[in-house]
Amino acid sequence: MILIGELSLWVALLMAAWSGVTSFAGGSMGRDDLVVSGRRGLYATTAMIILASIGLWDALLTHDFSLSYVASHTSANMPKIYVFTAFWGGQAGSMLFWALILSIYSALAIWSVKDKARELAPFACGTLALILLFFIATTCFKANPYDRLSFVPADGKGMNPQLQNPGMAIHPPNLYLGYVATAIPFAFAIAALITRKLDATWLLIVRRWSLISWFFLTVGITLGMWWAYVELGWSGYWAWDPVENASFLPWLTGTAFLHSIMIQEKRGMLRKWNVVLVVTTFLLAIFGTFLTRSGMIESVHSFAQSPVGSWFATFFLASTGATIYFVATRLKDLEATATLESMVSREAAFLYNNLVLVGIAFSVLWGTLFPLISELVRGSKITVGPPFFNTVNIPLGLLLLALTGIGPLIAWRKASTSNLRRQFLFPTGAGITTGVVLAALGMRNGHALVAYTLAGFVSGTIGQEFYKGIGARRSIHGESLFTAVIRLIARNRRRYGGYIVHAGIVVLFCAFAGLAFKKDHDVQLKTGETKELVDPLGHKWRFVSQGISTSETLNRFVTAIGLEVFRDGERLGILTTEKRQYFDSNKQPQFEPSTEVGIRSSASLDLYMVLAGVRDETAELRISFNPLVVWVWIGGMIMAIGGLIVMWPQAERRRAPSGYVATLAPAREMASTS
Amino acid sequence: MIRRRDFLARVAISGAGLFGASLLGAQQPAAGQGSGNLFDMDQSAAKTVRKPPRRDAVKSMTDEQRDALERDVRCQCGCTLDVYICRTTDFSCQVSPAMHRDIISLVEGGYSAQEILDSFVTVYGERALMAPRRSGFNWAGYLVPFAALGIGAIALTTVLRGMQRRPGSAARVAPDAPDVTATDDEMSRLAAAIRKDE
Repeated sequence: MILIGELSLWVALLMAAWSGVTSFAGGSMGRDDLVVSGRRGLYATTAMIILASIGLWDALLTHDFSLSYVASHTSANMPKIYVFTAFWGGQAGSMLFWALILSIYSALAIWSVKDKARELAPFACGTLALILLFFIATTCFKANPYDRLSFVPADGKGMNPQLQNPGMAIHPPNLYLGYVATAIPFAFAIAALITRKLDATWLLIVRRWSLISWFFLTVGITLGMWWAYVELGWSGYWAWDPVENASFLPWLTGTAFLHSIMIQEKRGMLRKWNVVLVVTTFLLAIFGTFLTRSGMIESVHSFAQSPVGSWFATFFLASTGATIYFVATRLKDLEATATLESMVSREAAFLYNNLVLVGIAFSVLWGTLFPLISELVRGSKITVGPPFFNTVNIPLGLLLLALTGIGPLIAWRKASTSNLRRQFLFPTGAGITTGVVLAALGMRNGHALVAYTLAGFVSGTIGQEFYKGIGARRSIHGESLFTAVIRLIARNRRRYGGYIVHAGIVVLFCAFAGLAFKKDHDVQLKTGETKELVDPLGHKWRFVSQGISTSETLNRFVTAIGLEVFRDGERLGILTTEKRQYFDSNKQPQFEPSTEVGIRSSASLDLYMVLAGVRDETAELRISFNPLVVWVWIGGMIMAIGGLIVMWPQAERRRAPSGYVATLAPAREMASTS
Repeated sequence: MIRRRDFLARVAISGAGLFGASLLGAQQPAAGQGSGNLFDMDQSAAKTVRKPPRRDAVKSMTDEQRDALERDVRCQCGCTLDVYICRTTDFSCQVSPAMHRDIISLVEGGYSAQEILDSFVTVYGERALMAPRRSGFNWAGYLVPFAALGIGAIALTTVLRGMQRRPGSAARVAPDAPDVTATDDEMSRLAAAIRKDE
C-alpha cells in the first residue's frame, strides 16, 4: 500500500499538470474535448491524492519506521488516534493533507458547476489544477512524506506531547478546510476575469465557497484558541502568534467579502472590490503559510528552517503577479451597474465595515511583519508581542463592534432622518443603559466599559430586528412565538443567520473584555498547606494541598498535585494539575516536560491552575481567575451555528430570481379575491 | 544557514524579481532538523543583568508591580512568552527564572521599572521587550495602521461621493426601483400578497 501511495503521488503530479494545461487550452480554443479531458484529469488527480493519503495513513498506523516522516512524528507506544492525526502533525504530511483537501474540494466544485457555468468551469478547473500542481510538486520535491531513511529505527521519535490533545486532532483539519476553501473562489475569480463574466452564476459559486471557508476558519480558530487554553498552560487563548495571525488574516478579508458581496447582489456595485477581496483572501492564506513555514518569523508553532518556504514565496509572487495582471486588464469589465444614492445607506455602512475589517487585517499583517521591517530599516531585532497588538487592535475591534450594530439599522439605498431616529432609539438606549449600569456597579476599566456598552448596543440592534420580524409574522400569520422564530429564520436564512453570527461576535467581545479583570497568583504549597485567595468578583477561595503524586502510564511519567477547592466556604471538589514527561518505548525521555492544567469552568469565571514544578517537596503553582472564558467557546459556537444557517441551501422555489420585482395587484382585484 | 539580516538585505537589494531566488539560497534545511512544529528551547540564552544596589536601597515596587513588569519582558528561551508567564508555567525553562532573579535583584537594588527595562535592553537588545518602545522608527509600527485606516476612510468617502455624483446614474437605477413610500392600503395589499405566497 505504501508503494502504491508513493507512486500515486507522482502520478498525481503528472495528472495535475495535464489537467491544468488541457483545461486552459480547451477553454481558450473552445474545444470541448480538451475541456472534458482537463476535468477528468482533475478527477484522476483527486483519486491519486486519495490513494497517496491512504498510503501514508497505512504507513503511520503500521509503524513503518523506514519512512522518515513516520519515524519523526510517531512512536510505537503512541495512542492510535494521535498516530492517525500525525498525518498533518508535520511538514510533509500537512502538505499532502493540504493537497488532499484541495483535490477533493476542486473535484466537488468543478463537478457541481460543469453544466451551470460552462464558460467559467474550464478556467477555474485549470487554475485549481495549477494550484494543486504546486502543492503536489512541493510535496514530491521538498517535503515528501515517503522519503526513506537509510536504516530502520526500532522506534520513532514520537509526537510532541502538546500535539497529543483532542483539540489538536480536530483544530488543524478545520483550519486547513478553511484555508484551502479560499482557493475555490480564487479560481473562479481568475476564471471570471479571464472570461470577463462576473455574473450571477459567478456570485453564487464564489459566495457558497467563501461561506464554507469562513465557517471552517471560524471553527478552526475557535478550536485553536481552546487548544491553546487547555494545553499550553499560559492561561490565555490568543497570543498574536504569527501562526494565529496567519489564520486570522483570511478570516478578516473573507468576512469583509461576505458583507460586500451583498451589495453586488442587491445593487450591482463593488465588483472590482469583491474580486480584490476574493483573491486577497486566498493570497493571504498562501502568504501566511509562507511566513510560518519559511522560518522568517519567530513563532511557537513555526516549522523552523523548512525547505518549502522558498517555493511558497515563489508561488505567492507568481499568483499575485497573475492576479494583478488580470484585474488591471479587466477594470472596464468590472464597472458598477448602479451607483450610490446616499452616504446614509446600508451600502455605505457595509463599505465602512469593510474598511475596518481590511484595516484590522492590515494592522495584524503589519504587526506580524514589523520585526522584519524594523530589522531591515534599523538593523536591530525587536519583539512585537501582545501588548503591541492589543494597543493597535483593541480600538479597531471596538470600532468594528460598533459597525456591527450600525449596519443593520440603516436602510438600503437611502435612510431618512425619521427612519434613523426610529431605528437607533432602542439599540442606543440599550447600549447607554448597559454602560451606565456597569459604571454604577463600579466598573472602571475604560476598554471593558466601552466594549460592554457597544455590546449592549449591538444586542439591542439584533433584538430589535428579531422583535420586528417575529412581530410581523405573528400579526400576519397568527403564529405562536416559537413557530414565528423558526419560520422567520428558515424563510430568510441569510439575514437572520447573519444576525446570529453577530450575536456570537457580541458574546466573544464580552468574553474578551472579561480578561481585563483577570487575576494571577503565584502559590507555593506543601502537602496539607492552605492558601486563600479572592477572585475578581469578590468570592473567597480556599485551596488545600492534597499532596504530590507520581505515576506512570502508557507513554509518560506524571507528577500531579490535587487541591481541595472551597469557594465562600462551600467545598467544590478536588482540582488536579500535572507535569508530564513523555518517554519512548525504551523509556527514554522525549521532549521537554509538558503541563496539564486544571480548569474549573463556570459562566462567570474559570479557575485555572498550573503546576509549574516541584521543588523541595513544595509544589509551585500559578492559580488564575479568568473571567468569562467559557463565553469564548460559546460565542464561537454561536457564530458557527449562524454560519451553518446562512450556508444551508434555500429551497429553489423560495429563492428570488436575480432582478426580481414585486408587483402589487390592483386594489379592485385584491378586493374581489379577498 | 543564512542570517535573517543578510536575507533581508538581499531582498531589499535584489527586488521582487530576485526575491524567490534569494530565498532559495536562504532556505536550506539544517542537517538532522526535524520538521515537527513547536519550538526547541535555547537554555543558554540567559545573560546576566545586574547592577550594584543603590545606596540605602529599598524595594522599588511591590510583588504585584514586579509581576506586571515581568509581563513586559520577553523570555529569551524561544517560547515567545513574557518572563512572568514562562516562569510560572514551565519549570523546564531555565531562562525565565534567571531573568526573574535579575529583576528581583534590580527591584531590591532600588531601580525603577523604566531603569530595569533599560537594563534588559542594554544587555539583550530591544527584543528583550514584549512590545517595541514608543520612540523613533517604532512609532511607524504603532501609527501606520491608524494612518492607513484614516487614509482609507478619506479615500472611501471620496469614492462614495464620486459614485453619488456620477452623471446619468439615476436614470440607470430609477426605472427598476422607484423610490416611493407605500401607503397603508398598499402595505395591507403587500401583506396579503405575502400571506398568499406562503
